[in-house]
Amino acid sequence: MLRIIATRAVLGVLTLLAVSVLIFAATEILPGDVASAVLGQGATPDALKVFRHELGLDRPAYVRYFEWLSGAVRGDFGVALTNGRIIIDEVRPRFINTLFLAGYAAIIAVPLSVGLGIVAAINEGKFVDKLANILTLMTISVPEFFIAYLLILFFAVDNEWFPSLSTVFPEMGLGERFYVTTLPALALTMLVAAHMLRMTRTSVLSVMSQPYIEMAFLKGLSRSRVILKHALPNAAAPIISVVALNLAYLIVGVVVIEVVFVYPGIGQLMVDAVSKRDLPVVQACGLIFAGAFVGLNTLADILAILVNPRLRKPR
Amino acid sequence: MTELDKLQAIYANGGMSRRDFLAGIAAIGAGASSGAALLSGQALAETPKKGGTLRIGMEGGGPSDSLDPRTYADSIPIAYSLALMNGLVEINNAGKAEGELLESWETKPGATEWIFNVRKGVKFSNGKTLDADDIIYSIGLHTGETKSPAKGILAQIKEIKKLSPNQLQFTLSDGNADFPYVLSDYHLMVVPNGFTEWSKPVGTGGYSLETFEPGVRVVLKRKGDYWKKDRANFDTVEIRYITDKTARTSALQSGQIDAANRLDARTVKLLMKDPKLNIVRTEGTGNRYCFVARVTDSPYDNKDLRLALKYGIDRKKIIDQVFTGFATPGNDHTLDAFYPYYNKTMPQRAYDPEKAAFHFKKAGLSNAKLELQTSEGAWDSAVDCAQIYQESLKKAGISLDIKKVAADGYWDNVWLKVPFCAVYWGRRPTVDLVLSQVYKSGSSWNDSNWSNAEFDKLVVAARGELDDKKRREMYFRCQELISEDGGMICFAISDYLDGYSKKVMGAAPHARYDLNDQRIAEKGWFA
Repeated sequence: MLRIIATRAVLGVLTLLAVSVLIFAATEILPGDVASAVLGQGATPDALKVFRHELGLDRPAYVRYFEWLSGAVRGDFGVALTNGRIIIDEVRPRFINTLFLAGYAAIIAVPLSVGLGIVAAINEGKFVDKLANILTLMTISVPEFFIAYLLILFFAVDNEWFPSLSTVFPEMGLGERFYVTTLPALALTMLVAAHMLRMTRTSVLSVMSQPYIEMAFLKGLSRSRVILKHALPNAAAPIISVVALNLAYLIVGVVVIEVVFVYPGIGQLMVDAVSKRDLPVVQACGLIFAGAFVGLNTLADILAILVNPRLRKPR
Repeated sequence: MTELDKLQAIYANGGMSRRDFLAGIAAIGAGASSGAALLSGQALAETPKKGGTLRIGMEGGGPSDSLDPRTYADSIPIAYSLALMNGLVEINNAGKAEGELLESWETKPGATEWIFNVRKGVKFSNGKTLDADDIIYSIGLHTGETKSPAKGILAQIKEIKKLSPNQLQFTLSDGNADFPYVLSDYHLMVVPNGFTEWSKPVGTGGYSLETFEPGVRVVLKRKGDYWKKDRANFDTVEIRYITDKTARTSALQSGQIDAANRLDARTVKLLMKDPKLNIVRTEGTGNRYCFVARVTDSPYDNKDLRLALKYGIDRKKIIDQVFTGFATPGNDHTLDAFYPYYNKTMPQRAYDPEKAAFHFKKAGLSNAKLELQTSEGAWDSAVDCAQIYQESLKKAGISLDIKKVAADGYWDNVWLKVPFCAVYWGRRPTVDLVLSQVYKSGSSWNDSNWSNAEFDKLVVAARGELDDKKRREMYFRCQELISEDGGMICFAISDYLDGYSKKVMGAAPHARYDLNDQRIAEKGWFA
């Protein structure tokens, strides 16, 4: 079993390496390099040459890639081109903010949707099942900014219960942080709930058609007991992976929500960097996003192996 | 000239409805309820009250903003910088230059030599008293080896000489009667001589820096003992970066911010109904939207065709449909009615399909292929504007092809490179800068390639002319020449739309920038 887990972990690292090559290559392929982006209209051939030398851009790409990568591993992404600030110092608080919001949304979304998914499976075809399905499908079927604006309209403008600006500041206490980020956390919950709920329901139901479940029923157990004790543990693997996928989405896919609620997360930083062509910042954000995505999925794989007896001993 | 006269001038020219005119007066009245004194920038009869926290939600900046004036390019840096520091010359609400740290000035005939008096008794936040050396150093930041955007407009300065600790003499390479206006540029902030540590700003402004988190917020605290007695009235000013228009609007409605810039023209009518809000509209001083034909390319080298293209655009329809009425018709040049030398006597060109058809026929180019290149990269509604244009030309029997091109690289690949395309221009501080950058022969930004000997001579002569009446005549003639003969169809100039909570006083329209010249932190107070 250890070997499988180790393999998964190594595969995760390899994926990340491949992504880092892609990120680096993509920014290399872009027409015009960093030097011409910074110099803009003042880019005379002479100035370009001097500036490229200053930035070390006149050396071969693979040398620069390994320098960048070894820096990144140590957490050193260099300095931003636009204002010369150290990138990691700028990214760190933003990334922590993003993790905070994702965590808050996950605390609401995961128990809610997995719980509702199980309830829906227990009551398959009944009213509760249909209601849960319809509601969550509705929230996933509209664009995220629309949900966000609806929440703002009802909870911030019409009834001033929550602020529509979710900007957090260093001096804020934990309670206040939770309060101001409630609306974006709710919006995110609505976005990811449907996926997790339906996956939970489906995987529980697919296990339900197995002979050993029939056996459990024949023993005279109640439906809820059969589902919780016998079906759920075997349905856990797909649920874990869909939860991980959604957690990753909460971290990397929240740019729009961050913009609408004016939340200082890493997504907004990346959008600003793209519009200013600040490539080192874009690269850093890209790598951090990839790290979060690959890391969570690898973790899900490993957990799925751990909870499933059959995966622990591959044939 | 009072604000009211200005409004009258705009409406007399603009073909605006009486209702809009009254709304405009109401906007001024609401902002300057304490009297005309505010508009002329003099002390108010009613003294502004001190205290409170002003929260401004703004678009126009990002995480890369810095406190170095050489990097300023958008609204938020201008706003915090004017709270922390002072400029050399201020533009008042009537559009006239007034002394700021350069208190007063005079010039000799020819306008090449200027004497400026440095304001006395002004102290920096580090305790140093302002003198001529600080001014020389601060201007020097933008000349010589520098990336400062102000470098170009300062190139005319040949020499700055210190006559005394409080007097400076500027020698220009050519006469320029508008030189004080040039010094009102927002990059020209004054810091102490030798100052380099930009992350810890030292200035003469009414506020000091409390928190600087670019991309998130900037917090400013009142210093007290500000040399402008009736200004800088808030205890605290908090500028919040709110890039999303809807987020800004809803924050204003729910009272989380007290002021917001760049309201959405499509929804501002609804906001005007909100009893808690005061919407201040500065008419027609924003972006100048144009379609520009190069007069050196066939068939646009035909003057009658250019006139046909100018008469064939339905300005009113574009303004009503695309800008929901919140723009002012352009008169085929990029000057607006707030410039002191705006030609009020020249009639506003209106949509006239018959005249367009007449000139088109006269041009004899019925088989010519007319293709207008447009893109969202020019401005977000450029394609919509072009489509209405196409429709309105059709009624005059002129068929126009529209080619929609990629937004990315529009200014590099299309503008200045194709015969007919969509362009927008920003405001420039002086008439001379507009005319010599956009229309004079040889200017690298003369996008219509227009060249007119009479115009070129007039621009140079007017620049050094100190007799206001003669200068006015020259500039009026220049505008007529562009409008009659030039290749630019300038059809609309956007409005600045600011939103304030009703309790914010001192909110008046200003031609240079929105939020009362980005000085609401300094000029405003709470009722």
